[in-house]
Amino acid sequence: TLRLICTTTTVQRKNVGASGPEKYTEAFIKKQIEEFNLGKRHLANMMGEDPETFTQEDIDRAIAYLFPSGLFDKQARPMMKHPTEVFPEQRKIQWGEDGRPFHFLFYTGKQSYYSLMHETYEKLLNVQKHQDQLIAQDLPLQKEKRNLAGSRWLTKIELEEMLLEKLSDDDYSRFIQLLQKLVALPCADIEEMYIQKFSKEVPAQLQKVVVEPLQYDERGVAFSTGEGKRKTARATAVVYDSGTGKITVNGIDILRYFPVLQDREQLLFPFQFLGRIGKHDTVCTVSGGGRSAQAGAIRLASAKALRSFVTEKEVEFMRQAGLLTVDPRVKERKKPGQEGPRRKFTWKKR
Amino acid sequence: MAAPSAAGLGRRLRAWLPRIMPVRWSRYNPSYLEPEAKKESYQKPLEALTEEEREQMELKAVRPIKAAPPTLSSSVFSDPMISKFTNMMMKSGNKVLARSLMSQTLEAVKRKQLEKYHKAPENEKETIECNPYIIFHQALKNCQPIIGLSNITKGGKTYQVPVPLTDNRKRFLAMKWLITECRDNKHRRTMMPEKLSQELLLAFNNEGPVIKRKHVLHKMAEANRAYAHFRWW
Repeated sequence: TLRLICTTTTVQRKNVGASGPEKYTEAFIKKQIEEFNLGKRHLANMMGEDPETFTQEDIDRAIAYLFPSGLFDKQARPMMKHPTEVFPEQRKIQWGEDGRPFHFLFYTGKQSYYSLMHETYEKLLNVQKHQDQLIAQDLPLQKEKRNLAGSRWLTKIELEEMLLEKLSDDDYSRFIQLLQKLVALPCADIEEMYIQKFSKEVPAQLQKVVVEPLQYDERGVAFSTGEGKRKTARATAVVYDSGTGKITVNGIDILRYFPVLQDREQLLFPFQFLGRIGKHDTVCTVSGGGRSAQAGAIRLASAKALRSFVTEKEVEFMRQAGLLTVDPRVKERKKPGQEGPRRKFTWKKR
Repeated sequence: MAAPSAAGLGRRLRAWLPRIMPVRWSRYNPSYLEPEAKKESYQKPLEALTEEEREQMELKAVRPIKAAPPTLSSSVFSDPMISKFTNMMMKSGNKVLARSLMSQTLEAVKRKQLEKYHKAPENEKETIECNPYIIFHQALKNCQPIIGLSNITKGGKTYQVPVPLTDNRKRFLAMKWLITECRDNKHRRTMMPEKLSQELLLAFNNEGPVIKRKHVLHKMAEANRAYAHFRWW
């Protein structure tokens, strides 16, 4: 089974829709929508704008102008939004006046989840039947590779919002396994539309970074700057185009500043990777951190500076070699009741 | 897509904490892939790649990559096995000392082999291996056990059950045995590089105490063959 331990901060929203039966009746929401539309026109009149073409952004700007607030939390400031955004979607009452539920799977407790699983399994059986037909007619099974790298499945939160029901991690992983099974079959192209409902596009290239153009100093030599950090060290590197490959740190040659071979190897890593060892001159400034942290910071700074000298493909290679990522590892904090970040106090029997 | 997650690159990479808090965690989101520093793998033309490598390349184009650790470099002198071994030899974070010991060991190996080379008659000169890296890798490979033992408690008694080992575990055991052997069974005055180079050369020729330990483990596993069905994984 897949243990879900990977959600980012952006996806940690609470699923309010599944928390309980509806607190707001439909009539109430309709009234709110009417009031909102009326209020929108009044606001447009007040601001002197055209009521017909008053968009949500204009509303936000108007409210921020009329009710300025210095509150820190954006959710606490006055806002005027469409009622469907303010009142989250709720499940409607699922039984009729006689008390009989509408859905045949109501008494399972998670009716939408189980009906979804049944539907998906039905699609799977369909695909298998189609496959059998093709085999019976001796036709070749099409196998165009679906691009797995560019898409991801819905997260548990997104699925919960879609179904308006709470799911457990186990349920979610079972559903994903079923989808993967469906996709793995050769004739899954028939159900492509159904599968697309549950998959999302991952942004194609993760190099959304803008490469700065080269700058030229007084002598006409092209140079480029980069900044890097590692733990507590901060470094800036200026890489000049023509040069003998000398590297100077805080005015001192690297042979004097970094007596350890490993640090010098790290400084030369970006240049060695691109094969430009004797071609660039580097002047760096660094502060903070320790010996290894400063070396890592300068490595990142010079790699970032080298991006302007190099083709896009090589920038992608540098990224895949791990030269352009900021190392997020920092010293772990000490916890109370323990001697260090992980070490506990000596256990004494009495 | 085993554990899907949206890469929240808008925010800084600060304190990424998972929903359920495991004991062993890392500052990186699980979608981050390991970096590949070797230059040759990027210079291969498109046609030379197999299907899996093509898929891997596509995946790498979409996913974020971890930062390269300070031990990894694209130079010819950086070797992942040597770095791992150096880290295991290190005490209290003294990487400088560990690295110097490692380089002295490799130098000692080279010197011994060169001595043998110059003393050997003409026809045997080709069989003597002088490259210390090749000797190191071959010695480690010779020391790796094939099968291991694990303690399984059943019905109150603990049995030593023969169990297959993963590649990582084999490498770890080989390195651990070499290091413990060099630390314990030596004369007080012999330096670590000298003793290590001795052990490496012996292991390269399939002799020596480390190889003996490996054979002992294999014999125990063979002796406890009857309990192999206790394993449930």
